[in-house]
Amino acid sequence: MKIESLKFEGVSFTHDGQDPIVQNVDFDFPTKEVLWVKAEEGAGKSSLLQILAGLQIPQSGKYMINGENILDMSFEEFLPYRLQIGYSFDYGGLINNRTLHDNLMLPLLYHKMVSPEEARTRVDGLLKEFGIEKFAQERPAHVPGRVRKLTCLLRPLVMRPQVLLLDDPSVGLGQDSIYTFVDHINKHRKEGCFNHIFISSYDEKFMNHFEYQIIHLDDGQLYFQAVDPEKRVVHL
Amino acid sequence: MTSLLARVDSLGRFFTKNMEYTFRVLLMVYVSIRAAIFDKAQGFRQIFGVISAQIYFTGWQALPLITVLALGVGGLLVLQCMANLSLLGGTQMIGSFLVVMICREAGPLLVALVVIARSGTAVASEVGNMRANREIEALESMGINPMSFIVFPRVLGGIFSVVALAFYFNVIALIGGFLITRFMQDMPLAFYTDSIVRAFAKEDLLIFLLKNGFSGMIIFVVSCYQGLSVKRSPHEVPQQTTLAVVNSIIFVVIFNLMVSALFYLNELRNLGVIS
Repeated sequence: MKIESLKFEGVSFTHDGQDPIVQNVDFDFPTKEVLWVKAEEGAGKSSLLQILAGLQIPQSGKYMINGENILDMSFEEFLPYRLQIGYSFDYGGLINNRTLHDNLMLPLLYHKMVSPEEARTRVDGLLKEFGIEKFAQERPAHVPGRVRKLTCLLRPLVMRPQVLLLDDPSVGLGQDSIYTFVDHINKHRKEGCFNHIFISSYDEKFMNHFEYQIIHLDDGQLYFQAVDPEKRVVHL
Repeated sequence: MTSLLARVDSLGRFFTKNMEYTFRVLLMVYVSIRAAIFDKAQGFRQIFGVISAQIYFTGWQALPLITVLALGVGGLLVLQCMANLSLLGGTQMIGSFLVVMICREAGPLLVALVVIARSGTAVASEVGNMRANREIEALESMGINPMSFIVFPRVLGGIFSVVALAFYFNVIALIGGFLITRFMQDMPLAFYTDSIVRAFAKEDLLIFLLKNGFSGMIIFVVSCYQGLSVKRSPHEVPQQTTLAVVNSIIFVVIFNLMVSALFYLNELRNLGVIS
């Protein structure tokens, strides 16, 4: 399933007893771009990414993927889209009673996306690329925070989805890991994966590694923000 | 008058609240079974792994505790009844007494209580922590339905474990009873086993499967439901775990009582005592 378009039509979403995250929003998200989602602290960037991942259901409106309202779909109907959307949490999210290796293997084996041998090769390769292979057989509680965060980031990458949603990806990572991560993303984008990337971040230095577009979430509305053409872009 | 109305109102609210809770729990059973059957994308091998882990923790690791409990209960019940049966000259009734007390009543209830204490709490706190740690959301983000990956295998593994543990409990309790009779009255094994075999009726198998199978389902469905009721914060986990224990005990006791009541009413009807 190829994802061509992502669109909000009159979408409203509010957490109980709080200000609306989005209110009656119509927005056509640019595709084949790296989108930097910016907002004030607590304005709802994570919630917006979760709506885009199908993890939060808006109270009203339509979320159209390829012209189909996915909010009307059951878990099974949404699954083909879901497998093309990778989501990484800002914190938490690793399955605590499984090793890091098993955490990365789980989506591949569960959906039989690739053969077990191919899955193992892919996961081992990824762990080696990021230099955390020695922690592969450890459980999340037994590894440093940096490794945990990195594993969180790597889990959606193993599925090689078309849409990648990254919530504060650079927090807690070392500079070397960031370079490797950006390099990995750029390499696979050339090969046709991670076509549409959404990143919420306050880290301008990290974002400058990408050629991004900015969308701003403010007061329940989404806006495009002009990007300084002089912005620094580092190609690794 | 106002006080009476207030009481009726409070009773109505209590009844409605409990009916709603029961309905929600039953809905979760339906959704988890449906998800397990219809989710074509799921990896049965992964789900089987969760089922076998559940059986290992709930069934296998509980064996030492169940053994001690069964030997003790079997021995104690025989000790209590032998004195009375010997006085009345009804020693041959030992089998009927043990089948009624151990296999029909004490066994299912005690095994259920042990499983609630050991595994119900573990499942409720595990699932609750998974919710607080956003593991449930993570599963969803990977396209893994938590109902078929978390709830269904735990319930299935739990039912199997409770039935197996109850069978084991009955066997060990009857052995415990025999050891006491050997010690007290030097009762021959043939007499003891013959008395028990004669006391068994085909209804006992039905009662055994009904009580233990449904107790297993109740414990693990309620525990999963309470675990999933955790919203975001880890401080809710112990509260939900306590609720899981309380609700499981209430549901299991009520269910056992209903099965026993229906069974004995049916017996009375067969005897012509009631029409």
